[in-house]
Amino acid sequence: MAIDFIDVVQAIIDGLLFGSTYALIGLGFTLIFGAMHKLNLAYAASAIAGAYVGLAVILMSGLPIVLTFVLGPVAGGFIGFGVYITCFRYMPATNMLAPLMASIGALFFIDEIIIHATAGSPLAFPAVMDDVFLEVGEYGFRGDLIFVLVTSLIAMLVLLYVLFGTRLGLATRAVSQQVVAAELCGIASHRTNATTFAITGVLGGLAGCMAAAAVGVISPLLTVPITVKGLIVTVIGGLGSIPGAIVAGFAVGGFENLFLLLFGVNQRDIYVFLLLFVFLVFRPNGLFGKAINRD
Amino acid sequence: MAYYFGLLQTIGIHTLLGLSAYILLLTGQLSLAQVGFFAIGAYVSGILTVIFEYHIVPGLFAGALAGGFFAFLVGFPALRIKGLMLVVATIAFSEIVRLFFFNLNWRVMVNGVEVGPDSTQGFREIRFYAANGWDTLDVVLFIWLFVILIMAMLWWLDRVRAGATLRAVGADELAAQSSGVNIVAVKVAAMTFGGVIAGLAGGLYAHSATYVDHLTFSVLLATFAVAYPILGGLSSVFGTLIAVIFIQGVLIEGMRFLGDWRNIFFGLLIIVAMNFRPAGLLDGNVVAQILRIVGRGKGSDGERHA
Repeated sequence: MAIDFIDVVQAIIDGLLFGSTYALIGLGFTLIFGAMHKLNLAYAASAIAGAYVGLAVILMSGLPIVLTFVLGPVAGGFIGFGVYITCFRYMPATNMLAPLMASIGALFFIDEIIIHATAGSPLAFPAVMDDVFLEVGEYGFRGDLIFVLVTSLIAMLVLLYVLFGTRLGLATRAVSQQVVAAELCGIASHRTNATTFAITGVLGGLAGCMAAAAVGVISPLLTVPITVKGLIVTVIGGLGSIPGAIVAGFAVGGFENLFLLLFGVNQRDIYVFLLLFVFLVFRPNGLFGKAINRD
Repeated sequence: MAYYFGLLQTIGIHTLLGLSAYILLLTGQLSLAQVGFFAIGAYVSGILTVIFEYHIVPGLFAGALAGGFFAFLVGFPALRIKGLMLVVATIAFSEIVRLFFFNLNWRVMVNGVEVGPDSTQGFREIRFYAANGWDTLDVVLFIWLFVILIMAMLWWLDRVRAGATLRAVGADELAAQSSGVNIVAVKVAAMTFGGVIAGLAGGLYAHSATYVDHLTFSVLLATFAVAYPILGGLSSVFGTLIAVIFIQGVLIEGMRFLGDWRNIFFGLLIIVAMNFRPAGLLDGNVVAQILRIVGRGKGSDGERHA
């Protein structure tokens, strides 16, 4: 099959649109890392779990289906808070391994709960605007992906406002810079961290809904790939960098779909990982990471 | 009895896998690449004994060397980064290895039968033990020979200067560097040694399972490899062994009667264990207490890693 220029551009467009979910997941990882200098590997699992809870409530109560995209993030926020309490709150501050391991435990736990509740079979997830198809010249834009993009962009703007326009955001940034100094200024660091986890949980729940809506089904099998892609986005963007995570999310989405077109589904991820290695070798601090990155 | 022999094989192989992560954790590096080296060892030794009809000992040896070689290669770029970046880079490496074997198709006719890795179908014909008349007990003894050998080496390593150097890098890189420790050399050495152990474990796994495919070498197994030493504690090699027996023997085999709920408990138990024993089940204090009971404890290094 000859690959036309149009196909390449179209693949990149679709990938960029889907990449907004990667950007949201990457933002979550990067915010938690920025706040606590710790990695929460249960993050993508709680994102998917949030989407599941949203879907379950809608299916059981008969509320309008669009509300999934509200309830999912809310559930995600609660799950994020739960992960903070169980895996991070009571751990020694200097121990890196214990919370990481505990969050892996939480990843298993959440995944298994989902598998147990759904008997392991994927569920259909409602897509919004999937009958819309926007055509610009020779290129098409899938309506459901446009919905994903627009919602993600709004979420990002809200997040940026919270971080840079409110007292809560100020506290979060203060704790991430210097915990002791922040506490001396009267900021309750544990409460701030808990709020950060809840906010990232909301973001994750939204990303989980978006990813499931774009794929059309939701399955516990989504957690590990989304975890890995989210981590790649975080590293390419630079650990702790918010603009980095957004840019890298779109970039990874675009490249992933391009590799899918060029190399097929079996080899797509190999090239995504090689892209990561290129960054690790030539820009180990990521796109926007600080030069001195002590962890 | 065959069931318990099978369990002993699994515990032995997973102990080796855990120890390969243990030696890296001593230097403060968390690597999820061990499963990649494990897969390389499994496929290399399997290909040698099946396609080239080697004896298992040189086959395992080559698998271990291949694991070490790739660990050495990965070690250098991975040293530019540390901590959490290394976690991500090593996940990516393991996934690249897995996807490589997922796409590898190398079917050859040997003695009139078509054998070799068959991409998505896996690599099915690794029957060295059966073909040479080894029974299950022989296999168990063969595997545990390597486990004891590696554990003895690591135990000895903790009692010589090299072990102290490893732990020094793990405790504080900057301080170790100022004391004249070449941290690059130490980390690459630990990575390579870990790769050799993982490759060896992979070869043993391939031959006792007789069948390997890419699904085995998932991120899940990679997290198990680091979970054993972290859960067991880094104060002693026995921590890893205890964690493997606890997870494989008690949690996975012992709780089969719980059915579906077993997997849910598994995640929960990891969370509980880490909250109550953040330095592992067998942490510095416990080791010191055991030594005191045995009667040769100094009692002063109890807080080493607590």
